[in-house]
This record gives sequence, C-alpha cells and structure tokens, in this order.
Amino acid sequence: MATVTNWIDHLNKPAEEVAGAIYPGAGSSEGLLVILAIIIWIGWHVLTAKSESDELERLARKRHGPNDHKSNITDW
Amino acid sequence: MTDQLGALTTIFTEFYYWITVVLMFLIHVGFCMYEVGASRYKHHQHTLMKNTMLIPLVTVTWFLFGWWIYWAFPTGPGIAPSIMNESTALITDETLFSAMWQVPTSDIMAVNLGDHINGVFWAAFLLFSWTAASIVSGAIIERITTFAFGILAIAIGSVFWTIDAAWGWHFDGWMLKILGYHDAYASGVIHAIAGGFALGVLMVLGPRIGKFSSSGEPRNIGPRNPWLVTIGLFLIYTGFWGFYAACNIPIFDLGPEYGMEGISYWTATNIYVTPTTLSGITFNFLMSLSGGLLAGYWIAKGDPFWTYSSGLAGIICASAGNDLYHPIQSMIIGMIGVVISYKLHYFVERKFKIDDAVGAVAVHGYAGFIGLVICGFVLNGYPSSGYSVGAMWDGTTYASINPLGMFLGAIIMFFVLGLIPGYIIAKVLHGMGKLRIPREAEIAGLDYEMMETAKSDEKAVASATR
Repeated sequence: MATVTNWIDHLNKPAEEVAGAIYPGAGSSEGLLVILAIIIWIGWHVLTAKSESDELERLARKRHGPNDHKSNITDW
Repeated sequence: MTDQLGALTTIFTEFYYWITVVLMFLIHVGFCMYEVGASRYKHHQHTLMKNTMLIPLVTVTWFLFGWWIYWAFPTGPGIAPSIMNESTALITDETLFSAMWQVPTSDIMAVNLGDHINGVFWAAFLLFSWTAASIVSGAIIERITTFAFGILAIAIGSVFWTIDAAWGWHFDGWMLKILGYHDAYASGVIHAIAGGFALGVLMVLGPRIGKFSSSGEPRNIGPRNPWLVTIGLFLIYTGFWGFYAACNIPIFDLGPEYGMEGISYWTATNIYVTPTTLSGITFNFLMSLSGGLLAGYWIAKGDPFWTYSSGLAGIICASAGNDLYHPIQSMIIGMIGVVISYKLHYFVERKFKIDDAVGAVAVHGYAGFIGLVICGFVLNGYPSSGYSVGAMWDGTTYASINPLGMFLGAIIMFFVLGLIPGYIIAKVLHGMGKLRIPREAEIAGLDYEMMETAKSDEKAVASATR
C-alpha cells in the first residue's frame, strides 16, 4: 500500500511522477475511502439523531416545571 | 548569507518559526483557561499559578540543559551510530549538529549575526516542552503541591520528552534506524509520553477527596466553568496549528541533502527532513479534528467537555502519520482513537481508581499510543528517513515504517519514558512528604486564605467613607 518506499529513488523519477500523490493507496483506494466516509457520515446522523430523540423523550416524560433547572446548578 | 536567494530562505525560515512560537503560546493560554475552568472555585487561583509557573521553570532548564539533551542523545547513547560521525557515543564532537553548540555558554545561544535559526528553533521546541508539562498539570489538579508539580514539570518538560525527541524525532534518532519509527506531528513524542507520565504520577498521587464513594463508585466532578473550558480548548486547537507548522521545515532543497548529484528539489519537509506539503497537512489536521469531534459527540452523547476534548484527541491520534495520510484516512483514524480512548478512560477510572481530572491521560496518552500503532499499519513500507532505507534492527541504515517497530515505539514513549519515570519521581516526592497537599487544605480549598483576605479587604473598602 506504500506509495513511496525510498525517497532517493522517488525523487530521481521524472518530474511529473515526483509531483504526484504520496498518500497510502494513491490511485487505487480513493473510491473506497469516499464510500467509507459517506457510510460513516450517514451512520453518524442516524445514531446521533436516535440518541437525541431518546434523551428528549426522557426529558419530556418527566414534565419538569420552568424553574426546576435552577435547583440543578452545580455547587461551587 | 552571501546571496539574495540564501538570504531570503534564511530570513523566511527564521520568521516562519518565530510565528509558530507566537501561535503555540495560545496552547498555554488555552491550557490555563481549561484547567481553571475544570477546577472548583476554591482551587482556581492555585490551579492557575501552578500551570503558569511551569513557564519559567521549564524555560530556564530548557536553556541550561534540555536543548543540549536533544542534540546529544540521538544515538541512545550506545544504540545506533550517528550518520554524522558514525559513533554511538553522545554527539558532542565538532560536527555541525552537535550538542557542543547547544550549551548555555555557546555563542549561538544568544544574538549572533552568523545564526538566524537556533533561537527560534530552540523556542519552538521549548513550547513543545511547556505543552508536555501542561498535559500532566491538568490531570493532577486540586491536590498536588506546587513544589512537586514544578519538579515533575522540569522532569517531563526538560528531560524525558527531550530524550524521546532525540530518539524518535531527530533525523539521526536511533528509533528511526532500528525500529522504523515515524511520528511526524508527535502522537508519541509529546502526547503519549506526557499522558503516560501523568498516569504514573496519578497512580501515586491518588484521587481527589470525594471522587470515589465508599463502595468505590466513581463520581463525576464536572467542569465548574464550561465556557472557560470551551474557550481554552478552542485556543488549544488554534495553537495546535502553530504546533503543526513548527514540526515542519518550511523550505528545503532535498537534492543536495540526500547526496543526489545535479538534482534540486525544493519542498517543505517534516521533522525527519522527508517531503510533505503544508497544504496536505492542512487537509489532514482539519479532517482528523472533524473525525474526533464526530466520534466524541456520538460516544459521549453530546457531552460538551468530552466532545471538545475528542476533537483534540482526533488530531493527536492521526498526528503520527498526518504528513502522509489521505484526509479520509486521517478522519477515520481520529474517530477510532477517540472511541478507544474514551472507553479506556472510564475502564481505568473504575477498575484502578485513577482520578484523571481532565481526561488528559485518555486524550493525550491513549490517543497518542493508539495513533502510533495505527500508523505502523497504514504507513507500513514507507521510509522512515530520506537518507537511506535498510532492515529493521540493523542500525546503520534506516528501517522502513512497520507495525512492530511502531508498537515498540509506542511502548517506549508511553511506558519507558512516560509512566515509569513519572511513577518513580512521584514515589520519591511522596516519600519526602512533598507530593500531596494536606487533607484539611484540600477540603478547605487551596485558595481559602486568599479568599478570606479578599473578603476582609472588600469589607474594609465597602465600609470606607473616604
């Protein structure tokens, strides 16, 4: 997966090759990485939305009054 | 500076590092705000003074011997020969990058018209030293004496981190040659070691009074001023840009450096003098920050303290290879580091009754360790240096980056140079009765007398008639 294995050999290549990408998997893994990023992105929204809904439902079920939060302020 | 190009390169490099120092100062401002925000009101001022006083303590010792250690110790000593003089002894001869030029009596450790780089480079490394000490500072708030912290700050800031920098962050370091160690933006050489050191100290120091119930259940002592913590962590992010910049050489001709006849290749390089681009690391910095924030928000269920800290942990975890990763790789690595670090923090807290007040061991130590291990797999086969490529354990050439070497490197950073020295020094200080403040003072609050004095001053002013 390493794109460069020896810097001296790499810099001795023709200029147009030296000027290319050097990250692992360059030229072969970009599509897979983008698909992974999209899956993570969508998954994050699904998971956090569910977590937020659960929390809000829990809070709503307790039917707090508008001044209840004042008794929750941390003791210094 | 005999020609215009040479002068421009030198002055640009001098100014570049100078700016990084200014930016990195924000890390310390951020750490001060963050720690004060995390501490309870009765300890605020002592918490601030403790972290502030590490500035002069580490700076003076860094001038006296810390900088010398960095240039003297790349060979171990006795582990792998230097590429400059082929000796395994301390590098104190008359070669160009010898430690003999970095003693307080040297004429380049001052204003010298023949040298434009040493002072700014010294200062850039000094700011890394402050960061290492500050990481430890946050974990141990509200119960350590300022004296003990001063000793520990000097130990991590001017001795142990600089030894690891010589071994694994110097172009001639033995860990590059023997292990194929690679840590471009200091997952290990700053964060893993400082986190490990903090854990070693915490093992001796013990938890804050009230942290654990009589049955051993941990209680959360959350940040008392979340807004100060927020601004502090934003400033640490900002200063981290300077840190990343300072880990690079902004402009360098690698052709002559690698002995390549007739080839000129101007580029920015990382600390190991291998090519990268400021543009590329900018992608990776922001993507790993984003990965950390995303994972932190999810795993901590939106808790602001952990979400902000996770942004930092994301960067720290990806930092070892952020000179070469693809941005999406950086993001994913940052996420993995955050999830493991968060889980480990609560596991260690519950299992071993370790009270890490700000999660510093997790954010810096565990994330840094994990980042090194992952880097060994993702960058497997890349050269650890541009000067040569050889076999692992050989020592006369540079081994390629590999999983085993990076794992061993992580062990050296976290345990050998971090946890073990931190534990031993804390034990000695404890044995002297100098490590922890008295129980009564901890309960009353370190600032009790200052607050009493302030109260009587206010009363006197309030009742004054003229």
